[in-house]
Amino acid sequence: MRTYVLKRLVAIVPTVLMITFVVFVMMRSVPGDPVVSLLGDAYTEEDAIKARAEYGLNQPIVVQYAIWLGKLARGDWGTSILTGRPVLADVLVRLPVTLELIVLSMGVALLIAVPAAIIGALRQNTWADYTATTVAMVGVSIPEFFIGVLMLLVFSIGLGGLLPSSGWVYLPGTCPTMVCGVSLWGNVQHVLMPAFALGVGRAAILTRLLRASMLEVIRTEYVTTARAKGLSERPVVLKHALKNALIPTVTVMGLQVGFLIGGAIVVETLFAMPGLGTFGIDAIIARDYQQVQGFALLTALAFVVINLLVDLTYTFLDPRIRYA
Amino acid sequence: MPEDTVADDARPVPVKPISGGSLREAELPAVVAIAVPAAEVSESPFAQGLRRLRRSATALVGVAIVAALIVVAIFADALAPRSPTINDQTRTFTAPSWDYPLGTDQLGRDMLSRVIHGTRISLLVGVSSVLLALFIGVPFGMIAGFYGGRVDALVMRVMDLILAFPIYLLAIILMVIFTPTAGLIGIVKVTGAIAIVRIPIYARLVRGSVLSIKEKEYVEACRALGVRDPWILFRHVLPNCLAPIIVTTTLGIGTSIIVEATLSFLGLGTQPPTPSWGWDLKANVAFIQASPWLSLFPGLAIFVTVLGFNLFGDGLRDALDPRLK
Repeated sequence: MRTYVLKRLVAIVPTVLMITFVVFVMMRSVPGDPVVSLLGDAYTEEDAIKARAEYGLNQPIVVQYAIWLGKLARGDWGTSILTGRPVLADVLVRLPVTLELIVLSMGVALLIAVPAAIIGALRQNTWADYTATTVAMVGVSIPEFFIGVLMLLVFSIGLGGLLPSSGWVYLPGTCPTMVCGVSLWGNVQHVLMPAFALGVGRAAILTRLLRASMLEVIRTEYVTTARAKGLSERPVVLKHALKNALIPTVTVMGLQVGFLIGGAIVVETLFAMPGLGTFGIDAIIARDYQQVQGFALLTALAFVVINLLVDLTYTFLDPRIRYA
Repeated sequence: MPEDTVADDARPVPVKPISGGSLREAELPAVVAIAVPAAEVSESPFAQGLRRLRRSATALVGVAIVAALIVVAIFADALAPRSPTINDQTRTFTAPSWDYPLGTDQLGRDMLSRVIHGTRISLLVGVSSVLLALFIGVPFGMIAGFYGGRVDALVMRVMDLILAFPIYLLAIILMVIFTPTAGLIGIVKVTGAIAIVRIPIYARLVRGSVLSIKEKEYVEACRALGVRDPWILFRHVLPNCLAPIIVTTTLGIGTSIIVEATLSFLGLGTQPPTPSWGWDLKANVAFIQASPWLSLFPGLAIFVTVLGFNLFGDGLRDALDPRLK
C-alpha cells in the first residue's frame, strides 16, 4: 500500500509537468502578451522589445519553461509582470476562499444526494422516487450560474437582502492580509449561496448515479443474506448496500473535479468572490503568464491529487481492492 | 492500476475512462454491443429501441422540447417580433408588457427577440460541437482499438493528454487563443473549442467497444473472406458500437450547451451583438435589482433546452440499452 502511494505520488510529477507545459505553450500562442498591456497604448516597438528582453520573454519557449521550472524547484512561483507581486503570495491569499467554497459545496451535494438516492432506490417507482429523480433531472440541467441568479433573486432581492449578493468575509483566523472583514456569521452569509449554487448540480449528478448503483446493489445476494440473518434495515442499507454502491459514485466524483474547477470560476465570478477561480480567469484574460502558470500548477495538482485520493478511497469502500 | 484494467479490457464495469464529460455520459458502460443475429429477431435493435422510446413519457417530453426548439431556431426571423440587435434608447429597461413580453434590456433591445435568436447559437454550437467531436473522435477510437499496438498507444496518449486537463481550463484557454468574436466566425470558434475538449470522450468510448467487437466471429469471418480493413470497420464494427455513440451524443449536446453558456457567461463565447443566452444573462446580472426578469429569461431558456436534450438522451439510453434499466 505504501509503495503504491509512493509510486502514484511519483507518477503525479510527469502529469503536472505535462499540464503546466501545455498551458505554458498555449498561453504564449495567445495573441498579445503582457508587455503590451503593461506599456499601455502609447509605446514604441523598441520599448516592447526592451521590456520583453527584461522579462526574458524573448527567449525560446522551452528555455522560458525551464527557467520557470528551475525557480519553482526553489519555491519561487514567479512574479507577475502586470502586478509586480509574487504569484505564490497571491495564490495563498485566494486559496482559502476557494477551498471553503469547494468543501462546503461537496458537503451540500452529499447532504442532499445520499438521502435522496437511498430513498429513491428503496422506494423505487413511488412518488418519493419520482420526486427525487425529477428534481435530480432538473438539477443536472441547470447551469451553476443560473442557480446562483435564482438564489440572488430570492435571498438578496426578494427577501430584502437576507444574504449579501457579492463580496467575501473571512473566517476568523484565516484573514490572509492585514485588513479584511472577519466574522463567522459574515462568512456564513457570504458562502451560503455560492456553496449551494455549486453544490446543487453535483448533488443532482450524485443522486442519479448513487440511486442507480443502489438499485443494482440492493438486489444482490449479500443484501438478501444480510436481511435474512435478521439485520435491521439501517445497517443493511448503510453498511452493506450504500458502501458498495459508493464505489462507482466516488469514481465519478473524482472525474467531476474538472467541472468543479469550472464551476468555481463561474460561481466566484457571479458572486464577486476573491477566490482562485476569479484569479485564474482574470489572469488568463489579462495574459498574465506567471499568474496563469501558478493557477495551472495548482489546478493540475488538485486534479491529480484528488484522483489519487479517489483511488485510495476504493480500498476503504471495498477491502478486497488492494494496491500492491 | 485500476484505470488500466478498466481501459484495456472491455468489461462493462464502473467506467473510469470516460472523463471530462458530464456524469450522464460517465454512467454509460464502456461497451454496449448489440450484436443480435438477424435470424433470431424480426425487427432490428434500433426498431426495438424506437418502440421502447415511444413508450417513455419523459423521453417524449424531451423530444417535444427539442423539436420545438429546432422550429424556433429555424424560424427565428419570423417568430421574433423585432430585431434582436437594434437598439432603442427611448425604451431601455421596460418591464414585461403586451408589446414587449419579456421586457427590454439596457440598450432597449427586445428581450423576447434576443431569447428567440439565442436558440440558434445554443443549438448550433451544442449540436455541431458534439458532431465535430464525433467525426474526429470515432475514427481515431476505431483505428486505435482495431489496430492496437503503437497506433493505439500514440492515439490514446494524445487523448489522455486532453483528458488530463480540467475541461474548463482547456476550453477557456482555447477560447482566449481563438479570441472570441461575433457572428458566424465566433460560433465556429466556440464550436471548435468545445469539440476539442470532447474528442477523447468518443475516442475512449469507441476504442473500448472495438476492442471487444474485433474478437467476434463475424469479424474473423470477414477477415477469412479477405474483406479489406476499412470495409470491416465501417460495415461491421461501426454499426455494432453505434448505440453508445448515439446516447453519448444526445446527452453530450446538453453538456455542450451548458459549456457554451458558461463560456459566454465568462465573456469568452460569441461576442455581442450576436444574441447569446449566457452573455445576456451575465450582462443583465448587474441590473438584477431593478430588472430581475432580464437575467431570468435567458437562464430559463438555457435550462429548458438542456432539460429537453437530457430527457431525450435518458430515454434513448433506456431504449437502446435495456441492460441499464
